[in-house]
Amino acid sequence: MSYKRPRATSPSGAQKRPRGAGATPSTITLGTELPPDEDGDDGTFVPVWKQTVTDERGRRRLHGAFTGGFSAGYFNTVGSKEGWTPKTFVSSRANRNKDTTQRAEDFMDDEDKAAAAESRELETAQSFATIGRVGDSQNDALFGLFVTEEETMGVKIAQKMGWRRDQGVGRKVRRSARSDDTAGATAHAFAPKDSRMISAAREEVNRKGLGYQSEARLGVTEEKEPEDRPMLALPWLEGPSKTKASEKAAPKKSSFGVGVLNDTGSDDEDPYELGPKIKFNKSLGKDKKPKKPSKFAKAGVERIVFKPKKTPGEASARPQLSYDGKPPLSGFVLATQIIDLTSKKRYPPPKIPPGWRSSKSTTKPADAKSHQSVSDAAKSSTLDAKARASLLGETLLPGKSVFDFIPKEVRDRLATMTGKVHLPQGRGEGAPEGYQDPNSTKPKDLWTFVPILDKGTAAAALAKGATGWMPYAEDANKRARYVGFLEIRAGLKTELPERAEKTSVSDWAKELQEFAHAAEVFKPTSGLMASRFTSSTSTSLPGSGTATPNENLLRQPATKPQDPAEQAAKLGMYGPMTRSTFPFHPSRLLCKRFNIKAPPDMPPADADADGASFGGRTEEAVSKSAMDKMVHEVLSKGAPALQRPAWMGATPEETLEAPSTPAVPLEGAHATVDVEKNDALTQERAPEDVFKAIFGDDDDDDE
Amino acid sequence: MPPFPATPIAKLTGHTGPVHAVAYSSSPHSYILTGAADRTIRLYNPSKAPPSSVAPTSSAAYAPGLVTKYNAHGYEVLSIDVNAANDRFVSTGGDKTVFLWDVQTAQTVRRFTGHAGRVNRGVFGGEGDSVIVSASFDGTVRIWDVRSTSYKPIMTFSDAKDSVTDVLVFEGEIVSASVDGRVRSYDLRTGYCEVDVIGYPVTSLTLSKKGTEVLVSSLDSTVRLMDRGNGQLLKAYRDEAFVNTDLRVRSTLGLNDSVVLSGSDDGMVFAWDLLGGTALHKFRHSEMREVRGKAEKKEKGRKDIVSAVAFCPSRREWASAGGDGNVVVWGTDS
Repeated sequence: MSYKRPRATSPSGAQKRPRGAGATPSTITLGTELPPDEDGDDGTFVPVWKQTVTDERGRRRLHGAFTGGFSAGYFNTVGSKEGWTPKTFVSSRANRNKDTTQRAEDFMDDEDKAAAAESRELETAQSFATIGRVGDSQNDALFGLFVTEEETMGVKIAQKMGWRRDQGVGRKVRRSARSDDTAGATAHAFAPKDSRMISAAREEVNRKGLGYQSEARLGVTEEKEPEDRPMLALPWLEGPSKTKASEKAAPKKSSFGVGVLNDTGSDDEDPYELGPKIKFNKSLGKDKKPKKPSKFAKAGVERIVFKPKKTPGEASARPQLSYDGKPPLSGFVLATQIIDLTSKKRYPPPKIPPGWRSSKSTTKPADAKSHQSVSDAAKSSTLDAKARASLLGETLLPGKSVFDFIPKEVRDRLATMTGKVHLPQGRGEGAPEGYQDPNSTKPKDLWTFVPILDKGTAAAALAKGATGWMPYAEDANKRARYVGFLEIRAGLKTELPERAEKTSVSDWAKELQEFAHAAEVFKPTSGLMASRFTSSTSTSLPGSGTATPNENLLRQPATKPQDPAEQAAKLGMYGPMTRSTFPFHPSRLLCKRFNIKAPPDMPPADADADGASFGGRTEEAVSKSAMDKMVHEVLSKGAPALQRPAWMGATPEETLEAPSTPAVPLEGAHATVDVEKNDALTQERAPEDVFKAIFGDDDDDDE
Repeated sequence: MPPFPATPIAKLTGHTGPVHAVAYSSSPHSYILTGAADRTIRLYNPSKAPPSSVAPTSSAAYAPGLVTKYNAHGYEVLSIDVNAANDRFVSTGGDKTVFLWDVQTAQTVRRFTGHAGRVNRGVFGGEGDSVIVSASFDGTVRIWDVRSTSYKPIMTFSDAKDSVTDVLVFEGEIVSASVDGRVRSYDLRTGYCEVDVIGYPVTSLTLSKKGTEVLVSSLDSTVRLMDRGNGQLLKAYRDEAFVNTDLRVRSTLGLNDSVVLSGSDDGMVFAWDLLGGTALHKFRHSEMREVRGKAEKKEKGRKDIVSAVAFCPSRREWASAGGDGNVVVWGTDS
């Protein structure tokens, strides 16, 4: 939308502005014509250079740059034809900065200067005296000091008449001088003593009607401000308020507290007073502590106290006057000192003669002796639990300790951990009659054959079977037994694992053992995250009543998953499991120094330059899973069989370092791995042609 | 079978600190070089040091049998290896530097710097002892060129995860032992490195003459003879009195690879039958005598350590270096 109105390129006749009165004599014009609006658009002809573009609000648009170029300089100008001109450089080489002293005026602006000029005006000191009135010093002790006493005309006249300050007015008095050595001094004429002017209350000029009771009608006992108070009065300088007591009782009880508006007018109560009412000492000079009202006597204040005994000598020595100037009443003597009741003499209690006994005492001393707390009594008792039980006629519990029930290994572990060697022997007994787990009582002997398996492991192995692969795929019955075993160990079933037909108990136990290992091996691989968490293991395994509470008694911290090779080495299974191979690239110079041919697949040249090693991919002779399997197999067969059931007895003495028996793969396991031979390593290297066919193109492309 | 050399025939004295390294000179094997914590290397003629010799009171005086002192190390000396020509030897120690010495002038010919930690072992290698292979606490094995004047190593093996304690060179192979429990055999011919996991920190390596077996000491008080071909264990040598759990203690093979010899943490030297694996002899280094039967438990002193043993390759003679600063040469009294 354009706000620029189309204009005629040249002024037409009709648009000619009627200027001046003489243009059209027929029309009458009244008043003065408005000056032509510069920006206003009345449709008249405006030359192009005068035309402006405005927006809808009349603001000018298209400034210099749009009207044909940048013209900040010359027309709408910044000073010169070129626009901004740099200030010419003035060298200070010859014209050094003069060492001018700075004045305060250099830093003053106009306001400051005006203030300074104003302060220079002379003023009379009279204004200073306006805060007080002359001669009012009797009720204005403090400000009397400050007020410059202006000589009033009366004072001047009096001075001219011979009056001096601090003299009384009147005739001179003849008397002797009041000095210490006045004996025989002649009398002189002295000015009369200055007497205080009696200040009469000034007449209050009220212009009120008869019977007008202003605020008194409101029933507020308001303390009238003393009218003759100085203009700047300090109320605390006045004498003690006599109306204080009545004032305290005054506050109105009708309202919800005293606000600012119904201020009683007294200065003693600050309506805004908050917090603890600490009274600050507001007077100059020595601070006077308010006298604490004593119960008996007021210290420091002489007062008449009844004194029963007369001290005639003292009384006759000097006539005593009471504080009102009169002698005390007959029969009374002024106390010379205050009887201090608090420091009355105290007498010790009477001594009880030795051997005296009160006939009133009822407690026997023997009773106090025998009083003893229950815990003390318990401590002194030599009876143990068994003796107490027999005393009370309870049926005896089997007199056995924990050590009778825990196996030997656990006891040893306890001993090593606590450092106490004299622990009783662990016997590993079963629970006594009547305390057994009802589930486990009947087939107790058979339960011992069921190997222990971690609940989490069993559940994991089960879950893996549910989702994916499971061992013993070729033998459905065996698989069912495996699942049954896992279910028992996972806590889903409680009865004994089923036994295949025509198998002996030992075979059955062996199979269960194998199941346990299979579950260990085939449980889902724990990832990085899984290794950081340990599943909570439940200690109450069904059917583990007798021989099995050992593993959970002392929990060992979960160890990091070990390197299988490391594990194998610890087991003494040196060989393929502990050996791994990785390629490296010896530098050419090294091969030269050793006088050997460099390996064939050396990267060409420039490997000599850096002595860095070439850490390559690790090629293991045996796959990790197979290695795991073998380790578990050895665990089950060989040395420290942790999960060996009790009936198998002690582990046969096998040396750790015995050359590893050829690892027997797990029965029914899917893949059998020949650990002695690895095809990947032993097989021939592919002929060069193959590599050429695969990688040869790159070289061609490069060149 | 001739008797085992069990009589002390020489005592090399003079070191004021524990002796960490002992090495026989090459071919005639008539001299013994010792390096100790007192920062000196000493060249001894054991034939001139009777077993009754005592250390001289003043350090300036030469102990019996002492030929030369080599002073350049600023820290303890940890290993010594003599080249085949008997004119140079290499020594390493706590100053992160490999020193190549001229035997005659007792001056260092070259000093190889670059290791970031103390150098546990330095050995000659290559054709005509043209390289020096060093094993360091910084976990690297560096190979230095003796022939060129390059100050950079020819090659660095930084596969070890922990301090490399020992290294040896056999033909085209470099075998290193590390505290991370692994023995790495770098075969320069094939370009493959075989890693054998021992499982315990390995402190010493000795190769058999054939080069097919390696004797490995590890900090589980066991010396193992490993088959290098397949990594299997051939024999483990233990004894109930043999303690090696803390310190770097050298072991060696001797008498034409028929006995295994090892020092121990508690000042004993053990000799096992290589094939049978039975402990043949036990020696107490500080008392210079053989211990028969049940070794009595001695209060283990701080200095009662046998940190290095060396078997003379040609004679029936071996040397044990102890923490007391003395080296005892054992032989047969004939």
